[in-house]
Amino acid sequence: MTDQIREQISALLDGELASGEISLLVRRMERDAELRRAFGNYVLAGESLRAPGGLTASPGFAARVSAALEADGAAVTTPPVAGRHAPRRWLRPLAGAAVAAGAALAAILFVPGGGEGGGQLAGSTAVPPAMIVASLPPGGASPTPAQNQRMAGYLVAHGQYASAIGRRNAWSNALAADPGITRVALEIVERP
Amino acid sequence: MRRVLVLALAGVVALAQPRAEAAAPTAREWLERMTESLATRDYDGLFTHTAGQQSETMRIVHRMEGGRSVERLVSLDGSGREIVRTPGEVHFYMPDRRVVLVEPRSDEGSLLKALPAPGPQLDSLYTLELRKGHRLLGRDVRVLDVRPRDEYRYGYRLWLDQKTAMPLRSEVVDGSGKTVEAIHFTRLEVGEGIDPRHLRPEVDTTGFQWVRAGRRGEPRVAGPPSATWLPRKMPPGFRLVVSRVQAVPGSPIPMQHLIFSDGFASVSVFIEPAAAKGPAPSESTTVGSANAFSTQMSGHVVTAVGEVPAATVRDIATSLAPVDAELSRSDTAPGPAER
Repeated sequence: MTDQIREQISALLDGELASGEISLLVRRMERDAELRRAFGNYVLAGESLRAPGGLTASPGFAARVSAALEADGAAVTTPPVAGRHAPRRWLRPLAGAAVAAGAALAAILFVPGGGEGGGQLAGSTAVPPAMIVASLPPGGASPTPAQNQRMAGYLVAHGQYASAIGRRNAWSNALAADPGITRVALEIVERP
Repeated sequence: MRRVLVLALAGVVALAQPRAEAAAPTAREWLERMTESLATRDYDGLFTHTAGQQSETMRIVHRMEGGRSVERLVSLDGSGREIVRTPGEVHFYMPDRRVVLVEPRSDEGSLLKALPAPGPQLDSLYTLELRKGHRLLGRDVRVLDVRPRDEYRYGYRLWLDQKTAMPLRSEVVDGSGKTVEAIHFTRLEVGEGIDPRHLRPEVDTTGFQWVRAGRRGEPRVAGPPSATWLPRKMPPGFRLVVSRVQAVPGSPIPMQHLIFSDGFASVSVFIEPAAAKGPAPSESTTVGSANAFSTQMSGHVVTAVGEVPAATVRDIATSLAPVDAELSRSDTAPGPAER
């Protein structure tokens, strides 16, 4: 991996890579298995591995990836997970920025392994095998206001059926929803 | 025969216990007293709500009016949001969005019986432990630890006012002992004399959009037979207690709302037709102790929400399957969660 690529990945994770460059980097990763593996190792061996709840990216990361993908309509491939026979799927950029960001993150972080038809989340043994996880940062551009509002609406509706203390907790969380919200995009594949 | 005799003797011995000892409230009775106090007493208090790095001051005002509770919960810093529970509706004021979400109130008549209450199975799912605690807010306190016996639910640590059983502090604790959410009262008045004016929202709603849930969403109790989606395998102890069709605020399409409870914790599942065609990645959302998991299957988006660990909402959401022929026929692209 060249220093330039390393710098690009670093900038991507810091949320400082321009959208045009994100798009190029993602396209390059689609073609280059070695780069995908290196990217996975780079990310997961780095500081982000120690972050609670999985991999965290800086504010704006998801939005930038999303914007880059939406801008040029790039298709993103999701390689299969090691040891399972999940079919190779193509995830087109989806309607809605946050959904696209989620798909893009999931796609990027699925790092194919070296074996026949196999892939794995490089460097991680803590992540359950059936899932790929990319934690989006609290606040920031993702999740979208509409998604936050929907979540708050769910909590209010749910609170009506919770126990007395459950309702108070659910509604307190609905009131405080936006600053403390954390969204994780997951790709579920076959389970053992 | 001998066994019957032993049981009979045990009964006689139990009846002969001194009255004072029999009257000492157990941990379970404290839990029931707390539930009753929260639902039926008048109170007005300030508390800090802490979840993760976020801490926010909130006010809760609760008052009984004509036998029904009226409640107001306000965020005093941050968004300025309020939730007001009137006799007929729940209003969620979101000044940061200039929106008021309105939902018919659900606890009518027999529905109350379906709501979570400590049931006979509670002991098989949680251990309860009661001890004396340090004084808080000038009151004597009993500390009640509610510990889950498995990883499918959270634990609770409750600091209860000796006199009223009101929780002066409550913490939600995950399987590793970490506090995921805490509510600490800094002021609490309990008893009559709570000014009803304090139940009125302070938000100026001029120019706000009022999003009203459809009237066809009137609550109704329904058992498993009328549910069009049913669980194939639930986490232990969770059972379906309510099934209704309702318009959740913010959604134009009425959706099915299923409520599962283990007698203490509850999980709501919302099922609505998927807007986008084709598979979409599943999503997990965390807000304080509340976790949500959303996945697409059989042409529908299934979202489970509750104050339970992330794995529990995920398992509940992915265990559901449509049993209604019409819904099954609407299958388009199978979602990624399908097995």
